[in-house]
Amino acid sequence: MAALGARRLLRPGRRWFSESVPSAPSPPASPLYPPVVASVTAKSKAAKSRRLQRFTQRVHAAATVEEKLRLYGKLQRPKYMVYPQTFALNADRWYRSFTKTVLVPGMPPRAAAAKPTVAAAGATPEAGRAPGPGAEAPAAADAPGAAKVPETAKSSEPAAGAAPYLNIGELRSLVCDALLQESFYQKKKRPFLYRDQDHTPGPFLTQLVSTLAASLSSRNPLLAASSLDLNPEVNYYWHHGEEVVVHGYRKGRVDPVRFQIDDNPHLQIRVPKQLPEVVPLESDLGDVPVIDHKPSQLPLFKKQYENKVFIGSKVADPCCYGHTQFHLLPDKLKRERFIRERREDQIEVVYRSNGIASLFAWTAAQAMYQGFWSEADVTRPFVSQAVVTDGKYFAFFCYQLNTLALTAETTKNNPRKNICWGTDSKPLYDVVEDGNVKGFNDEVLLQLVRFLLNRPKEL
Amino acid sequence: LFPGVRQAQWLTKTKLVEGLPPAVQGVVDNPALGLQELEERAKHAVSHARLWDTAEVAPKREQYCPVLFENLIHICRLMSGKYPSLSKRMLARNCRIAATWERESILLQVRGLSGILLNSLTPIPPVASKEEILATKEHVLETFYPIAPTIDLQEVNVYKELNDTGQCFRDGYPYSHPHTLFFLECANVRTDRFRPEQLRAKMLMFAFGSALAKAKALHGNDPKVLEQPVVVQSIGTDGQLFQFMVFQLNTTDLVSNDGVKNLVWIDSDQNLYEKAQCVPEVRKRVVTKPAGISGFQPDTFKKFLALYLHGTV
Repeated sequence: MAALGARRLLRPGRRWFSESVPSAPSPPASPLYPPVVASVTAKSKAAKSRRLQRFTQRVHAAATVEEKLRLYGKLQRPKYMVYPQTFALNADRWYRSFTKTVLVPGMPPRAAAAKPTVAAAGATPEAGRAPGPGAEAPAAADAPGAAKVPETAKSSEPAAGAAPYLNIGELRSLVCDALLQESFYQKKKRPFLYRDQDHTPGPFLTQLVSTLAASLSSRNPLLAASSLDLNPEVNYYWHHGEEVVVHGYRKGRVDPVRFQIDDNPHLQIRVPKQLPEVVPLESDLGDVPVIDHKPSQLPLFKKQYENKVFIGSKVADPCCYGHTQFHLLPDKLKRERFIRERREDQIEVVYRSNGIASLFAWTAAQAMYQGFWSEADVTRPFVSQAVVTDGKYFAFFCYQLNTLALTAETTKNNPRKNICWGTDSKPLYDVVEDGNVKGFNDEVLLQLVRFLLNRPKEL
Repeated sequence: LFPGVRQAQWLTKTKLVEGLPPAVQGVVDNPALGLQELEERAKHAVSHARLWDTAEVAPKREQYCPVLFENLIHICRLMSGKYPSLSKRMLARNCRIAATWERESILLQVRGLSGILLNSLTPIPPVASKEEILATKEHVLETFYPIAPTIDLQEVNVYKELNDTGQCFRDGYPYSHPHTLFFLECANVRTDRFRPEQLRAKMLMFAFGSALAKAKALHGNDPKVLEQPVVVQSIGTDGQLFQFMVFQLNTTDLVSNDGVKNLVWIDSDQNLYEKAQCVPEVRKRVVTKPAGISGFQPDTFKKFLALYLHGTV
């Protein structure tokens, strides 16, 4: 501008009002001044949002998933520790509100999956059906007292699999053998005080799952490539909602509410391929409970420690998707205690809160391992299953993670909700005496088998 | 202190054969098993146990040794998709072994927590032929004169001679035949772990104990040469080195030094992998050793699987 003015004075012949702007160079390629944005270090809301924006850009630009996870959990502040196995009253409502989950009672309908239905014992196979692969038939015939079961698929079978005969008698005998070995045949010392669960139900569950998974691996190629973890660790850290800091040097500032789940399932199965989605990503199957109180009223307590996100093994593991988890309820939460305290309604709450919290943590951690996080929401739903048991009563849960965006800003325009299907707890058997299992419940076994046979449609 | 296996041989009246028996070797070399694809899974199993299992940088031996064992057993168990008779096996943990016998007027007893035991519905068929068993008559057990053979053994006043079928199971247990014993040396500190030689001796003693208890349960307490020899296998590891052992009990007549001897085949010091690098080693800004498992030996896993499948394949 100064140069232009000088040129006007130097050339008096030029007319004053015909401003010769074109002699100026074309508009500069970049603006002459940097963009006017909020400061980074000031104590203002605009600066805070600018800092958040820089953080999200850093995480988006991270090269590897490990780097993303490291940046995501870098800042340590006091956070609520959420325990999946808790004695808190009505904990499942609170957990549903923390994780934006809808609880649907019963199991999800499995329409097109090739699940063999079991007819009554003694039914003869239909003449028209081609028998299963040659190895299946003699093996099934060898098992004593086997009940041959025809398969009645609702949809057309994929060309690869022939009609699989599900030998419930053989599986039942495997389960009974495992149960009898742990509770009756093996001579063990008396259980340690308050450690009843480690004495019999724990080993029984391990035996049950390992033998069932092995015998069903011929039907489910996903199980044949699976990885079984004993007593793994599952952790997840997330923000949900906002609160004002109550005391300390940060008093008065608005902070997200931080949660951390540290879970130790008894057993989990991880697979290299993801389970198929149960319902489409944007489905709405119910309402998420809204709770007006602070989370500390549950009771939930705050602690500051490492923000871990872990599915059971590191990111480099090829088996990075989850299939089924098995949880064993500790002695502190056994049914007799609740009945003695006249709180029978809380028995189911224990199972539900365990299922919801553990499965949310697992599926969300799986999603983070694939690079999604609260600012980069999932593009496909993550599905996992869980079985919660106390040795005799089994409850089944299936969880579909549709959204990771639970922070205060991202949840405003997010219509998606996570969905959890769950059953009530049912006993597997009535009592074990004299080397016999009395009152065996086939439905529970069938549900367990269905869980283990779950696999993507291509397989 | 002393080469343990030689002492254990004398105590159990056993003849040692190096390498695995031909029956097991046949399973290893059997191409129908599809052992090549399993190599990849075995490598993943090792990597998972040694590298990926924990949220910290590197897991300790107390953690990775049992995890490695569980992963390998999981791969072996998944083979029951191909061989359905494999499902007639049950794993028993924390079982106590107890067996007593007399050896040249010294009463010996084996007791203790034997680790993990795999039971099966059917016994393993005898591995050595009749001629080999008779040939052991000629074999002379080496003595360690002037060292007494009971050196380093704890002398205890025994009030009850226990012969609990070695497995502490009640009668009527369907999976009554001991198949394989597993020993995991998991202690973090090296001095708490057994050295390979001592581990082999321990394996021999416990395998002998359970075989003897089973034989006494089947054929009674009188010492005699067994018509149907009892075969028990044993695998010991510290997370990297594997010791494989197949023990065949031919006789319960252990008082005298002559006659038919028992047989044991030992394959010792098999490395499953050379090194597991958790963090890449960097010297002067150049990566000298990348992270991962180096020197993976698929043969060791094949032997593990062969011992697991032995008896049903």
